[in-house]
Amino acid sequence: MEQPDALILKMQNKNEIAFSRIYAMYSDATYGIIHSIVLDEAISQEVLQDVFIKVWNNSGSYDSKKGRFFTWLLNIARNAAIDKTRSKAYKNSKKNLSTTNFVDILATSDSLNQKVNAIGIQKFVAALKPACIKIIDLLFFKGYTQVEAAKTLDIPLGTLKTRNRNCIQELRTLVLG
Amino acid sequence: MSAEEIIASGKLELYVCGTLPSEEISEVEAAIATYPEVQREIEAIEASLLSLAEAVAPTLPAMIWSYILAATRSVRKIDGSAPRTNWSAITGWAAAILCIVGLFWMWKQHNGLQDDIQITTTENTQLKERIRFTEGELTDANNLLAVIRSKDYKTITLPGNQAVAPEAFAKVYYNQKDKIAYIDAGGLPVAPSGKVYQVWSLILDPLTPTSVGLLSSATGTENGVFKFENIPNPEAFGITLEPEGGSETPTLSQLYTLGAVSP
Repeated sequence: MEQPDALILKMQNKNEIAFSRIYAMYSDATYGIIHSIVLDEAISQEVLQDVFIKVWNNSGSYDSKKGRFFTWLLNIARNAAIDKTRSKAYKNSKKNLSTTNFVDILATSDSLNQKVNAIGIQKFVAALKPACIKIIDLLFFKGYTQVEAAKTLDIPLGTLKTRNRNCIQELRTLVLG
Repeated sequence: MSAEEIIASGKLELYVCGTLPSEEISEVEAAIATYPEVQREIEAIEASLLSLAEAVAPTLPAMIWSYILAATRSVRKIDGSAPRTNWSAITGWAAAILCIVGLFWMWKQHNGLQDDIQITTTENTQLKERIRFTEGELTDANNLLAVIRSKDYKTITLPGNQAVAPEAFAKVYYNQKDKIAYIDAGGLPVAPSGKVYQVWSLILDPLTPTSVGLLSSATGTENGVFKFENIPNPEAFGITLEPEGGSETPTLSQLYTLGAVSP
């Protein structure tokens, strides 16, 4: 997928239509990232709003020469979500939650069932190896650094990189066919 | 590093995830700029991760977009609006400044009035003093007037001695019964320093002068009228200029005025 640089530029020039199209393209993925961290739909929606308001207000700080727009958005979303989980109100309401990865969310989320392609997605996610689920959860959804992820999974750094690449390759064949 | 090597390194996946250390980012970016296949690889990785994230997302309510739009618009409205004049604040400040200026003015006025009161009080005291003084003078003048108008007093004019002081004159108001005389010396020239006028009562035959007294501050009243008591029945009054302290006998060469008491 090519990055919509023209749309991004228009949004940076405060074009609302461009902003709405960017939202249409990225909001679901962003919501998925936030939800995998926050684990609460209402709070995740709140965070998502904050993230896109931030995107609109700070769009000028994105430079296409310095990385992918998706990566930029990913960082904003993860940071906002992590900030939210550190707030006192959030901690009080989520005392009994055990740590979860994106696959656990898939298994428990009711609203997912309403999605047209939900069954297909569940199928390919279920096809991923448990090791891949763990590694993608840490590096992509949670934004762990290589060193943190290697330590958490107790594998060498080189193995982590190779395994991550293989897992995403596997995902590609599942998603893109 | 060749395109194949960098694709196989696993760095591109980390780059898209945003977890690649900053020192390796520039290496990846150089490769993206150089090799189109690296660019395509990046796009494929991104697309698959994007799909995965979308897949695990619960359904997103459509109203979220309206909230975002409303929030960005309201923010923009505040940003875009011209700096509005805050009239209530300006009015408030103006009123406060006016109030302070007013208070300061009133304070100045108050101080000025205090000074005025001080001055007026002093003036009042001075005026009272003068009234008291004038009342005293008036009493004296009234007393004198009463004397002059009284039937018990005779008025004797002492004309000037043609040889010594032709212009001079004096008046004597004499009460024969009580032997009191008031002498009005207003018509005499001012006595030279070291000299003093002396009043004499005279018996003419034989000529016997008796000193009545000196026209000095001891016997004088404020308006140049002198009072003498215990005067034996004189036939005439005379006034001579004598050395200070007076003389035993009159210096006739310095006889200024002389007048007879009419019977």
